[in-house]
This record gives sequence, C-alpha cells and structure tokens, in this order.
Amino acid sequence: MTNDEEMLAQLGSTIPWEKRSDGCWLESPDTDVEKMAHVMTEAEARLVTMTACEVSNGEFRIIYHWDLEGRMLHIVAVTRKRSISSIAKVHPASDWMEREIHDYFAVQFDGRELPPLYLSPEDSPGIFLNHSRDNHKERKGKER
Amino acid sequence: MSFTVPIGPYHPALEEPFKLEVTCQGEIVQDATLHVKFNFRGVEWLAQRRNYSQVVGLVERVCGICSDLHTLTFCRAVEQLAGLAVPPRAEYIRVIIAELERLTSHALWAGIAAEVIGFQTLFMTCFGLRERLMDILEIISGNRVHYAMNCIGGVNREIPDPEAVLDSVLWTRQQVEDNLIPIFTTDRTIRARCVGVGVLTKEEAIKWGVVGPTARASGLSADIRRTDPYAAYDQLAFNVPVETSGDVFSRAVVRLREMVESCRMIEQAFKQMPPGPIRGPEFVEVPPGETVARSEAPRGEAFYFVASDGSDVPTRVKIRTPSLVNMPIVRLMVLGASLADVPLINASIDPCYSCTSR
Repeated sequence: MTNDEEMLAQLGSTIPWEKRSDGCWLESPDTDVEKMAHVMTEAEARLVTMTACEVSNGEFRIIYHWDLEGRMLHIVAVTRKRSISSIAKVHPASDWMEREIHDYFAVQFDGRELPPLYLSPEDSPGIFLNHSRDNHKERKGKER
Repeated sequence: MSFTVPIGPYHPALEEPFKLEVTCQGEIVQDATLHVKFNFRGVEWLAQRRNYSQVVGLVERVCGICSDLHTLTFCRAVEQLAGLAVPPRAEYIRVIIAELERLTSHALWAGIAAEVIGFQTLFMTCFGLRERLMDILEIISGNRVHYAMNCIGGVNREIPDPEAVLDSVLWTRQQVEDNLIPIFTTDRTIRARCVGVGVLTKEEAIKWGVVGPTARASGLSADIRRTDPYAAYDQLAFNVPVETSGDVFSRAVVRLREMVESCRMIEQAFKQMPPGPIRGPEFVEVPPGETVARSEAPRGEAFYFVASDGSDVPTRVKIRTPSLVNMPIVRLMVLGASLADVPLINASIDPCYSCTSR
C-alpha cells in the first residue's frame, strides 16, 4: 500500500495534500499528468473521472479524481493554451473522459486522436463555452 | 471476407438509441465501435443555468431508471458545500427509496436479459415482479419513474403505510430467492447462453475502471455503500455479492443476489428508522467552494462534482454516470464472440444510453 506522502514524492510535488471531507486534494498546476497516470496505475488506483473547469484566463483546471482503496484523491492540473497531455495510453479508462472534455470545452489532449463522443463529425467542439450563464444570473437579479 | 453489421441507432430489438458497428469474419466478431451521442441533452450546461432547487428536478431527468440516485448524489454534494446536516430519519428514507430503485432496475435488467435470450416466460415473471415494485414507488411518491423524494437537506415526504411496503418487499425477496435465482442459475438454456460468454477479466476491469455489478462479476468487491458509506448504509448489515468468472452469467448472479441484499436492507431500515423530522431547516445559501459526492447506483458508482461561487446558481455541475465508464468495455467483451451473442453481451453490462449521453 502506498501512503499519501510516498505518493506525493513519486508525483514529484512539493505542494502538500489538502485534506477535506471529500478526499485529499492536490492543487498543482504544473503536474506532469503522464507521470501521475503512471504512479496511479502502479498503485492500482481507479480513475473515477476527469472534470474540466474554466478559469478566468481562458485556461481550464483539469481535475483527475482517483479512487485509491476507497479513498478519493483529486489531482488538479491546468491546461496551457487549452492543451494538456493525454493519459489515455497509460490509463485507458480516460479515453472517453478526454473525448467528452474535448467535445464540451475544446480542450486538446496531446498525443492522441479525439473522435467526437457526443457531437457529430461536422460540429465544432466547445459547446459548453457559451457564456450566457452570466446573462442568466443578471436576468435573475432583475427578476428579484 | 469480413463484413460490418451496423446495429442501431434505431433497431427493433433496442429500447434506446445507440449504434454498434460490428466487424465480423464469418460469425466471429473482430472489432466493434460504439456510438452513444443520440441522447445528448446538455444536462450539465443546463444545470449551470438554474438555481440549486431547480437543478434537483433537472438531474432527476438524467435517467428514467436511476433517477433517485441522481438527485441523492447532487443533494449530498450541495449539503456538503452548504454544511447542512440531514436528519437521521431522512437518511433511512433515502436508503429505502434507493434500494427500491435498485430492485426495479435489476428486475428490469433480468427481464430484458430473459427476453434477449428468448425466454419469454421468465421475461414476464421479471416484469410482473417489477410492476409490483413500481406500484410501491407510486404509492410512496405518486410517480413510477421520477419520485422527487430528495431535496437539499433531507427528503420531501414520509413513506405512507410502511407495513404494505414491507409486505411487498418480503414478497419480492421470496420471488427472487425461490424463482429468479433458481431459474437463472440452473436453466440449461440460460446457462448455455451465458456461461463463458462476454468474459471481462479482473485485470481488464481494473485497467478500464469498471464499476458496479459488472466489476463485481469480475472479482472486484468495490461498492460505494461499503467503501465510502453515505445516508444510513453504515448502520445496516449487508453483503456485497462478488463473482469471479467475469462472464454474462456472473453478472446475472451478482444482480440477483444484490436484489436479496436490497430487500434485507429495506427490512432493516424500516426496523431501525428513528422518529423525527425528515428535512433540516431551509438552506439559505451555498458558500463558494467545490466538492464531490458519489453514490452506488444500480449500475455502479455515480459521481457528481459541484462548484459554487456563492450565488444561487452552481458554476459547475459535472455528472459521471456508471454507464460512461462501463460502456467502452463492450468492445473488449465482444471481440472473438459470436455475432448472435453481441446483444446479450451488450445488455449484460446494463447500459443506460440516457445516463451516458445526458
């Protein structure tokens, strides 16, 4: 069994885990995600899913949610120019997850093809990048 | 000479739209490609444009079979963010509804499996059993599909006439133990169609992150109710059925044994359920932050990520349904199989295309 601190060393991170009620979080924008995939695969961790969240500069936080022997570990990386390395070759469970994020947010996962999962081939990826949510909040404010 | 058989997106034998392109050499499958885009509704996008209470109603529509699990998981995430405590009685009611939903889901699966095999009498038996379970849910909630039981901070209503519900659950347990399990495990036709068919090894299940009964039929024991208990599951005694063969037969056995365990849990929940309120005080606001919640849906782990900026509209709602991680492995399971076994192998993971595309 790999303990959390050993895993941190293997990931090459100097940032400590943040322990929360929903698991341990590692907010490390420069995470080498391929290395992370190797470390987690070696530890027999299960990739629960990947979450993309847009940040203010147009980049995305990509959160890798892992289950290690029933405990949740959340490792956060950040895209550069909306790109990040794919981990699909190391951890095949990420295949559909990366394709889904590409469909939704047009994030590029380097080192692989990204056939659309939900979109038709003629559609452009990035359907979730419509910012009308802000308009919605303004409208709700007026309604009150 | 190889040829490609397109199955779907609309096909007389399929209840939901999806497309499986199967490449065969003779009758043996050499490759398969799965297309799942036909039910895409942009639920996550919609959730980020509605307030928290409205999102509860929205996520209930992700799926028509495990609708309760979606509201439960979303509500738990919001409760964590807002620091809301759920009254103990509500936690037990959540367990009862979740397990009734698991029973209806597994009964539906058993019926469809029987139909795919060609065992129409068994199909009718399974659907007859499911009908009674859906009647119970209708008595409790007024609806057969979308129960609207969960709210942020608890549940919306009490369970009326617990004795009648318990009677039906005892009857269901007896039906499963006396009829379904013996028929599924001893009938020669079922065994001939299921044993050794569509095998998923434990190693592949780990590699692909498979969840739920599909994983437990391949020797993995993971069950969120046990490993990361929520609601009142830590107060209940139950077994997690595990099989090791990884074939269609094992998946059937795991689900049927899970039905017995669900009945046991409901019986215990009724006995142990304390008196008291069923929901906490009205929640005022959700502070900025982010969190995750996961629950064991009938098909496996359902996962929600919810982020808040302090307003009444979530900034991010991410939904990962169990079918999304289980469906890619259909390609592995059908390689080398007979074309005639493809529908049964596909059905054996209990895929939900509505959940997957959402």
